[in-house]
Amino acid sequence: MCSSRSKLIKRSTVGIAITLISIAAVFPLFWMLLVSLKTRVLTYDPSIWLFKPTLENYVTVFRERQLVRFMRNSGIVVIATTTLSLVLGSMAAYGFARFSFRRKEDLAFWILSLRMLPPMATVIPFFVLARFTGLLDTHLILVLAYMTFNIPFSIWMMRGFFEEIPREIEEAALVDGCSHWQVLVRVLLPLALPGLTATAIFCVIQSWNEFAFALFLTGVNARTLPTTVTFFLSVTGVIWGEMAAVGVVTALPVLVFAALVQRYMVRGLSFGAIKG
Amino acid sequence: MESFHSPLFSRRGFQPTAMNERTPVRSWLSRNPHWAYILPSVIVLVLLTVLPTVFLYYVSTTDYELGQFWNEHHRVGLENFARLFSGRDTEFWPSVRISLLFTVLATAIEFICGFGVAILLNRDFRWKSLVFACLMVPITITPSIVGQMWKLMYNAEYGVINFVVGSLFHAKVVWLGPQLAFTSTLLVDIWQWTPFLALIIYAGLRALPAEPYEAALVDGATAVQSFRYVTLPLLRPLLTLAVLFRSMDSLKLFDVPFVLTQGGPGSATELLSLHVYRLGFAQTGWVARASATAVVLLFLIVLLSQMLVRQIRREVDA
Repeated sequence: MCSSRSKLIKRSTVGIAITLISIAAVFPLFWMLLVSLKTRVLTYDPSIWLFKPTLENYVTVFRERQLVRFMRNSGIVVIATTTLSLVLGSMAAYGFARFSFRRKEDLAFWILSLRMLPPMATVIPFFVLARFTGLLDTHLILVLAYMTFNIPFSIWMMRGFFEEIPREIEEAALVDGCSHWQVLVRVLLPLALPGLTATAIFCVIQSWNEFAFALFLTGVNARTLPTTVTFFLSVTGVIWGEMAAVGVVTALPVLVFAALVQRYMVRGLSFGAIKG
Repeated sequence: MESFHSPLFSRRGFQPTAMNERTPVRSWLSRNPHWAYILPSVIVLVLLTVLPTVFLYYVSTTDYELGQFWNEHHRVGLENFARLFSGRDTEFWPSVRISLLFTVLATAIEFICGFGVAILLNRDFRWKSLVFACLMVPITITPSIVGQMWKLMYNAEYGVINFVVGSLFHAKVVWLGPQLAFTSTLLVDIWQWTPFLALIIYAGLRALPAEPYEAALVDGATAVQSFRYVTLPLLRPLLTLAVLFRSMDSLKLFDVPFVLTQGGPGSATELLSLHVYRLGFAQTGWVARASATAVVLLFLIVLLSQMLVRQIRREVDA
């Protein structure tokens, strides 16, 4: 009797703890959403949680802050860098997964270590070099900069997915007279499609979220969504509703994409090191 | 008209001929087929990472400033580094201290909290997938927006945190003031990355074999003992991995504190990467001196990343 009661207490304590943790994880986002739906006067009163929502902040940021342009820039950069990185990365991943050669692992781990370079160290040479080549404030420079982390990431993720496919399948294709290239394109990639999609989505999230390179390498033309936060840094009497609306617009696509790769999250976060 | 019939324009002319097969490149590739797949990536990566890094070292030995023409710079040798290490750049050592303190505290607290959450999650309960979906939010949401969200909540006058604190304790806390800015930035990092450690450790707990626990139970071990002598040793490689991941990421942190505090007030939250920003871009435009600081940051990161890579390698080989 006593033990069943203590079990009940234990179970409900755990339940409450998990509920609180979940609420804490999403509360800031919820609050930002709430502020973005408030009228200007209401944003300065944190005691009001129930009110008639308004979309006026969203209308303002899309009309006056050219949000569509920044979304377009983000979109162009993200799609270009993801496509290029996936093509190059899948090829290299195939090379690592299916061939054996001298010092293979040394090369693979050197590539992995490139993924870990601090952006603040690479951004200075990128900035200086881009200035003298006229690439500053173009989509191209961001596409290139993001490839520094997307290519190593794609190689490591895709290598893991390729290695999970049994070799017998491609050996049959090779015997039938396919070249290695045909095996990769016609056999391995279709089989690894879920993995390829997950890798692509992780590249999209990483590139969409990137801040340091975007801040220093773009100015007016190629500016991406995350850097729009600087609009609200120095303004006195901050326009909170607009600030929150921009935040929601920037964060929402990422959350949708993240929901799609939830199953691969641990794997993606550890560059494929932990299969999860 | 004649030229259309020349061999150059015939369809055969564009096809690989027997001659091409025997060129040195082709025969080398046929002996080393993997390079055809790996080389494009390696070339791009060398151009995009090795070249800029070498250039960074070079800039750090000059006196180049923002806005100068490139040929106006002079070589100054290790002057920039001497300035940093001798303390003539008065903000360098404090910034290193802040960065290291932040890294150690963030990693330690997130590790302990993450472990706790992972143990809580490691059982069957309803709504499990919803709980996991909630935990994904802090990890994946755009970091610059994270900074902005917390700035909204931390605001001393109109922020929701002070609203709660005020109605519970009748107190007003200046979260982003000189005393608390560091702690507040740390809190955001803990919010953001505890779920990451929880997920990784949870994955590890799930993969543990059952036999050692049965053996421990037979030997009469208590729950605490089997945790200490079975769980921890088995999880150790994974835990090392997780700690290295986090410490490396928090050491190079830039976006969240940039939005939240910009290193301030004063230099209370000026992490190394923010110091690089301030030297090179914000007020002074001393790109060369910023580069020297960036080289120090790079050195610290490379040190950690080599440890991490070695650990991953051990994991993969095992």
